[in-house]
Amino acid sequence: MHTRIKTSVISGLLALVLLAIVAERASGFFELPAALPQEEFGNLLINRISDKNGVQPATFSHWIHRMKHTCRVCHFELEFDMQVNSTEITEAANKSGRYCGAGGCHDGKAAFGHVKPHCEKCHNGNRGAGKEKFAQLSKFPKRKFGNGIEWAQALEKGFITPANYLTIKPPADVAVIKPLLLEAEWQGIPAAIFSHKAHTEWLDCSNCHPDIFNIKKKTTKHFSMGRILKREFCGVCHLTVAFPMNDCKRCHPDRPNLQE
Amino acid sequence: MKKLFLVLFIILAFAGYALGQTGVKKKRSLPHEYGNVLINNYSDKAGLPAVEFNHWLHRGIYTCRLCHVDLAFGMKAGATNIKASDNKKGYYCGSCHNGKMTYKEKPIFDSCQMKYTQDDVQRCERCHSSGRTVKRDFDFYTFTQKFPKERFGNGINWEKAEEDGYIKLIDYLEGISIKRKSMKIQDDITLNSKVEGMPEIVFSHKKHTVWNGCEVCHPEIFVGVKKGSTKYSMVEIYDGRYCGACHIKVAFPLLDCQRCHIKPVQ
Repeated sequence: MHTRIKTSVISGLLALVLLAIVAERASGFFELPAALPQEEFGNLLINRISDKNGVQPATFSHWIHRMKHTCRVCHFELEFDMQVNSTEITEAANKSGRYCGAGGCHDGKAAFGHVKPHCEKCHNGNRGAGKEKFAQLSKFPKRKFGNGIEWAQALEKGFITPANYLTIKPPADVAVIKPLLLEAEWQGIPAAIFSHKAHTEWLDCSNCHPDIFNIKKKTTKHFSMGRILKREFCGVCHLTVAFPMNDCKRCHPDRPNLQE
Repeated sequence: MKKLFLVLFIILAFAGYALGQTGVKKKRSLPHEYGNVLINNYSDKAGLPAVEFNHWLHRGIYTCRLCHVDLAFGMKAGATNIKASDNKKGYYCGSCHNGKMTYKEKPIFDSCQMKYTQDDVQRCERCHSSGRTVKRDFDFYTFTQKFPKERFGNGINWEKAEEDGYIKLIDYLEGISIKRKSMKIQDDITLNSKVEGMPEIVFSHKKHTVWNGCEVCHPEIFVGVKKGSTKYSMVEIYDGRYCGACHIKVAFPLLDCQRCHIKPVQ
């Protein structure tokens, strides 16, 4: 008798734990990251070893950098990973011309180098650093959410002319792969349109393939909205840097068609 | 009942782990980590840390062919099943690491002796070093300091380093390698890509034979009798087959698309 009570208590508790996990997952299903002021969207504080070494975390603003360089330059050529604090950026690496300190970037010529008196320009622990420069973006095409900027149009219309490479020139004609129509998981939700061209303007093929998306059509497993919102697939970029997913219709238009 | 729950939990935990591996960007290796291989067939059982093998040092001295053909090392970590007794008999690592053979007039340290003293333990740790801080004779950044640089992988342009004479690769081991007349190097070939508009691939036999001779690739990885006789795709390459046998973990990595997809489609 005693053991039976024990067993039922244990299974009851386990059931509760399982339910709690399910509930937690369900409630988190369409939870987007908290909205930030436009001038702070895409800003990071990098603090992998700063604290340990007694310096302030380094501030980094995506919008300041994406005006001058495409994503490809840093995330392909300069080998920055896609997750904050995972790239092993060190003072020595920067000074030897890797990461931030690459030639044509913070090398002391093109932009301030990793030397005194510039330390606090990055190591200031202030996520909103540089917001006074946000006024430069006031004329850019607007779009709700994120930085409030329609970056793709800003590029197309010449408001920005970001460099697409430092030393590894991309071929001019690789952006040829047709757009894809991605059926939604739920009935009644229009299919998503994925434009390769809109992405290759900024990115290298290997930024997404094959780590994030397999290259064989329809073989990317677990590609669902729930996973995307957990920073996987599109969510690697489209939660905190590229236009955020509050903008549902930007990918799931009312009448999806493949004419670009 | 309890057992059932336990099993269920273990399955769920594993499933969660496996599912967690998709959809995100993998972390890139640092230059000195790229091409490092962990070999652990028997180390754990012998109570030793796993062996850390670095390609960057060995490829700075020897050709790929020497180890992967003449010394019969497989192309996948752990696939060769190297035993301490093999090394001791002078196979695999022990072909060179025998305390007799020299590199730059210094003997190459002996490997895997069955009898050893307390002082020798340090020598064991030169290879059995996983998780330990071991002082090595060669430091990556000092060894490669003058080599021509490029992005990705080890950050070294190995091809240019060889061409410009920064490295002079040993391709022959007395008593092991067989001297043969070299064959005529085949011409470069153009490979069409399967995706419309994707630049075509130029494959250079010449660049590959410097390191590989013919035997590293033919006939096991590529049948190579006639162009088109081996059918393969990028998916399989990413999976570690064909070009991926080397160009994922050791030779320049696949993320450098334009290094192979070089020829604009006519």
